[in-house]
Amino acid sequence: MSRFVIRRIVGTVLVLFAVSVIVFTIFNVIPDSNPAQSMAGKNATPTLVASIEKEWGFNDPLPQQYVTMMRKVFTGDLISYEGREDVDERILEGIPATFSLCIGAAVIWMFFAILFGYLSARKPGGLLDRVLTVVSVTGISIPEFWLAAVFLNYLAYKLGLFPSGGYVPLTEDPLQWAYHLILPWTTLSILYIGLYSRVLRSNMLDVLGEDYVRTARAKGLSPGQVMTRHVLRNSLAPIVTLFGLDFGALLGGAIVVEYIFNLNGIGLYTFESLINQDLPPVIAVVLFGAFFIVLFNALVDLFYAFLDPRVKLGSSPQ
Amino acid sequence: MEGRSPWYLAYRRLRRNRIALAAAGLFVAILLFVLAAPLWADQVAHTTPNANHTLEKVEARGETREVVNPEGKPVGPLWLDAGGRFFLGADGTLGRDEMVRLMYGGRVSLLIGFSATLLATLLATVLGLLAGYYRGWTDAAISRTLDVIWSFPVTLLAISLGLALAVGGLRIGPLHLSGSSIWIPILIIGFVYTPYLARPIRGQVLSLREQEFVEAAVAQGAGPLRVMFGELLPNLASTLIVFFALGVANNMLLEATLSFLGVGVQPPNASWGSMIGGGFELITTAPLLTVIPGAMILLTVLSVNVFGEGLRDALDPKSKVLLEAHAGTPEPRGTPV
Amino acid sequence: MRKLQAALVVAVLTMVAIGLSSCGGSSGKEGGTLTGSYASFPELDPALSYDQEGWTAMYDTYLPLLTYKHAGGDEGAEIVPALAASLPKVTNGGKTYTLTLRKGLKYSDGTPVKASDFAATVERLFKVNSPGSPFYEGIVGAEEFAKTKSGGISGITTDDNSGKIEIELTQPRGTFTDELAMLFVALLPPGTPAKNLTTEPPPATGPYKIVNVEPGKGWSYVRNPQWAKSNDKAIPEVPSGHVDKIDISLVRNSATQVNEIERNQKNWMQTLVPADQYAKVKSKYEGSQFRVEHSISTYFFWLNTEEAPFDDVKLRQAVNYAVDSAALERIYAGSLAASHQILPEGMPGHETFNLYPHDMAKAKKLFAEANPSDRNITVWTDNESPNDKAGAYYAGVLNELGFNAKLKTINADNYFGIIGNLSTPDLDTGWADWFQDYPHPNDFFQPLLDGESIAPTYNTNTARMNDPKLNAKIARLGEEQLGPQQEKEYAQLDREFMEQAPWAPYGSNTLSTFVDSEIDLEKVIFNPTMGQDLTSFQFK
Repeated sequence: MSRFVIRRIVGTVLVLFAVSVIVFTIFNVIPDSNPAQSMAGKNATPTLVASIEKEWGFNDPLPQQYVTMMRKVFTGDLISYEGREDVDERILEGIPATFSLCIGAAVIWMFFAILFGYLSARKPGGLLDRVLTVVSVTGISIPEFWLAAVFLNYLAYKLGLFPSGGYVPLTEDPLQWAYHLILPWTTLSILYIGLYSRVLRSNMLDVLGEDYVRTARAKGLSPGQVMTRHVLRNSLAPIVTLFGLDFGALLGGAIVVEYIFNLNGIGLYTFESLINQDLPPVIAVVLFGAFFIVLFNALVDLFYAFLDPRVKLGSSPQ
Repeated sequence: MEGRSPWYLAYRRLRRNRIALAAAGLFVAILLFVLAAPLWADQVAHTTPNANHTLEKVEARGETREVVNPEGKPVGPLWLDAGGRFFLGADGTLGRDEMVRLMYGGRVSLLIGFSATLLATLLATVLGLLAGYYRGWTDAAISRTLDVIWSFPVTLLAISLGLALAVGGLRIGPLHLSGSSIWIPILIIGFVYTPYLARPIRGQVLSLREQEFVEAAVAQGAGPLRVMFGELLPNLASTLIVFFALGVANNMLLEATLSFLGVGVQPPNASWGSMIGGGFELITTAPLLTVIPGAMILLTVLSVNVFGEGLRDALDPKSKVLLEAHAGTPEPRGTPV
Repeated sequence: MRKLQAALVVAVLTMVAIGLSSCGGSSGKEGGTLTGSYASFPELDPALSYDQEGWTAMYDTYLPLLTYKHAGGDEGAEIVPALAASLPKVTNGGKTYTLTLRKGLKYSDGTPVKASDFAATVERLFKVNSPGSPFYEGIVGAEEFAKTKSGGISGITTDDNSGKIEIELTQPRGTFTDELAMLFVALLPPGTPAKNLTTEPPPATGPYKIVNVEPGKGWSYVRNPQWAKSNDKAIPEVPSGHVDKIDISLVRNSATQVNEIERNQKNWMQTLVPADQYAKVKSKYEGSQFRVEHSISTYFFWLNTEEAPFDDVKLRQAVNYAVDSAALERIYAGSLAASHQILPEGMPGHETFNLYPHDMAKAKKLFAEANPSDRNITVWTDNESPNDKAGAYYAGVLNELGFNAKLKTINADNYFGIIGNLSTPDLDTGWADWFQDYPHPNDFFQPLLDGESIAPTYNTNTARMNDPKLNAKIARLGEEQLGPQQEKEYAQLDREFMEQAPWAPYGSNTLSTFVDSEIDLEKVIFNPTMGQDLTSFQFK
């Protein structure tokens, strides 16, 4: 177990290192991208540009610049090129909105996915199953940003049923907080509901064919009891692992949904920084996001090993 | 009893799946729609996808309408009132024919979706075979690299690459791609999607290689290449076909997202995603410009997804290999680090 | 007799009525809290802010020695004394500026304002590498200081007892009076830290001071206590403000901002009403809550005069005849005021003219006469809407003219760097804009059209215009103090350049003032350089 943990920690550090190097490189090879020039403004003189380059270390060799930047990420001194803001503070600022969005959506999609998957698997091929299948496959086929735009226009702007965007902190007004998040939650959930309900349905049908289920029926348990006590429980494992990985990836910020609904979260900050080619915030959010992905990856593996003792921790998968 | 090849059996199963066939039909209809683009542009609309008509007027049912009114509002769908010109209206202040752009944009979206997936499938197959067959250091190196790409929030990586490459294009040795080349989004999406295919493929290779037919081939003196491409690959075929179909769906959505955000297909060229992006600016005054291209994406991706599922059911009804139709969910088995 | 009595009663009643109505009309409500929204968070450090958002935010909190008159339109371009007692005395052939600080001025924390604070303020500008520092590199010793960041600036001499401030320039500089009115040199106490103070605002000298800055969320203003106590009477040119408090929130979505104003949830939005709502808002609220404002800016298509095919003046003139501002007005959906010359309206020295009224036939005729051999051209534009569409329109026009134009759209962040880099290939023509730094014509002519300004990188003279006679004129006028004679000459210069047609200018950006029904729109002042004047907001 400790070997697993150590290997994972080392692996995590290596992955985060690689990710940060890649981002750093990408931004430094963009042709004609000159942050010193952008900061110097439209009346730039060579003197000013030179001073800025000196202040920010842009003339230092790239590896040195990389090390300085990474150091600042961890000491909290990272300043953005655009607007000279404290990056870590902006990220902390964005956490409530992003986490509200992701956690809320996760609760919603898991609830509906399990419900739909269960209902579908109870009578495969039946009318309910077919309807839910259509709903699910449509859900995974919708462009998320398009759905968000459609919701925004028709439900918020035209009909005024929902607010047209913005985030209200939970601590300020829980009712408004939820009200402002209903459309974003719905948009984000639809895709995952479709996905997960299909996976659950498929898994449940597989489990239904297993021996121990027939045994349970033979023992006299009703179909309902069989479904809930045995089938559902045993089908959830893959869902939980999928969830872990998806949720981890989402915590880095749902860029498109935050952009369209104007939620002041990490995703929106990421997008703005990308468009401004503002390297410091991008590196910080990429590390932030990658960290969660890797963390949840590890949790998923742990969970899987816990569930199925045959799978040795860290061994190659089947 | 006559033995039937598994392919024939699969074909029969598919034929009986009416929903999958309907989906295929829908897809073919969409394909024909976009292929008809030059015909429509030339014969009916009498314009090209990028031609501006800002100050022009059009005759519709005896009324003279401005293509773009002085406040910048584009004319709405005229349907057949002007003989098919501006069937879906104008696309914005530049007064371009929305229907023509929709058809041409569809070609771009489909082309990118297919090409990127093809690229990713080829790359992933090679990497999966190498990693699964050789294991050891090769596997470690390939898997680690894939892990790194995997750990990137996908959209973020794609956006970063899009920004970097859309500005100055790509210059590797003699290869020079301009920033507005359609190859840029194809390469980016293909590259970003590869790990999501490579992992499950590797997993399959790992389990396949333990089977007897591989042992037999090796015993008969087959070299690594023969085993990989002669024995393993054919057994991957059905998986690859399904992956390909579902991958096209995913990648069309990814291209749409990137183009919507401005880092995919570059103006003045159109793709369905970039059309939604352009329409979004006018969403309160001309919502159809956003709704229609999105609906096209939805229908196309839906038909591909349904057909893909049908393929999966036909090729391997008991298949446990689950490739989720969006980048971001890997094969739910243990992940090695 | 009855008739006379009746007439008297009517007269008295009328006078009473007039008295009552004028009473009600001239006074609005004093006090209250103004709520406003911005779409982006500006830098709230006067040394660093280089956009209208920041200048609007700090116009009434930090005062330089001089300031722009608190008025709109052409009047708003006039420079009046703020912390200085009067406009500067310019001697020594335009190289020496002398001012005297008013007596008894205090910062919001109670510290007295001293003449030497000016020197410290300018030094801080260089220490933080401000984008505004180039305006002051002309001070003797400034460049040295910019490089070493120590030793003071020899060209600035001050005397705290008399309040005298004397500034030596290396060369005569006619724009320096304007530069003394920029927020970059708003006086701050010595010892103000040389870093971005957005989150911890320095002490204010104006009627309001900034408090409660929450990055990403907003900030507030309260009345500066020292203003009423010490500065108000000393500075009649700066009004004291009607509202007691101002709360600004950051609302990143401009459609939401409009929504909030319409529902009277906020009093004012600083941002321009977005294109797709502009027409609707204008028709519904113009005159009552909405007013179109003019910015001093020019949008233009530059033409590379150094290389074929646009080295031929006939082709450049053809382009000017071909471009139709009616189309561009539609593309900008209302936020464009068409013009066809270098200097925009509102700039001193502007006299409206149009040498090339739209005429496609004439354009094609000129094109045929010029008959260029090289017809493959690249048209550059950035990807920010609606500039990208303006570029696409322009490419279409050039194709109609007879060229084979290819459109290249560049990310807005890199755009000016790329077209300003002389080694970028195929820089034939493209879109550009220029917003004034201050209302002095040299701010347009020198960077954009002076041959001396052509530089290998960060080039602002994208047309590569290099006419020695016109260069000399720019240089000469730039050294003289701006007066009616100079304004006439600038108007003439505008014409002379347009005869050469290095650009096809098409208009200037219009902005907007949009307030809710509680605010008296008539009272709101929009200064063309500084934006809305916070002291002018008043509840009805």
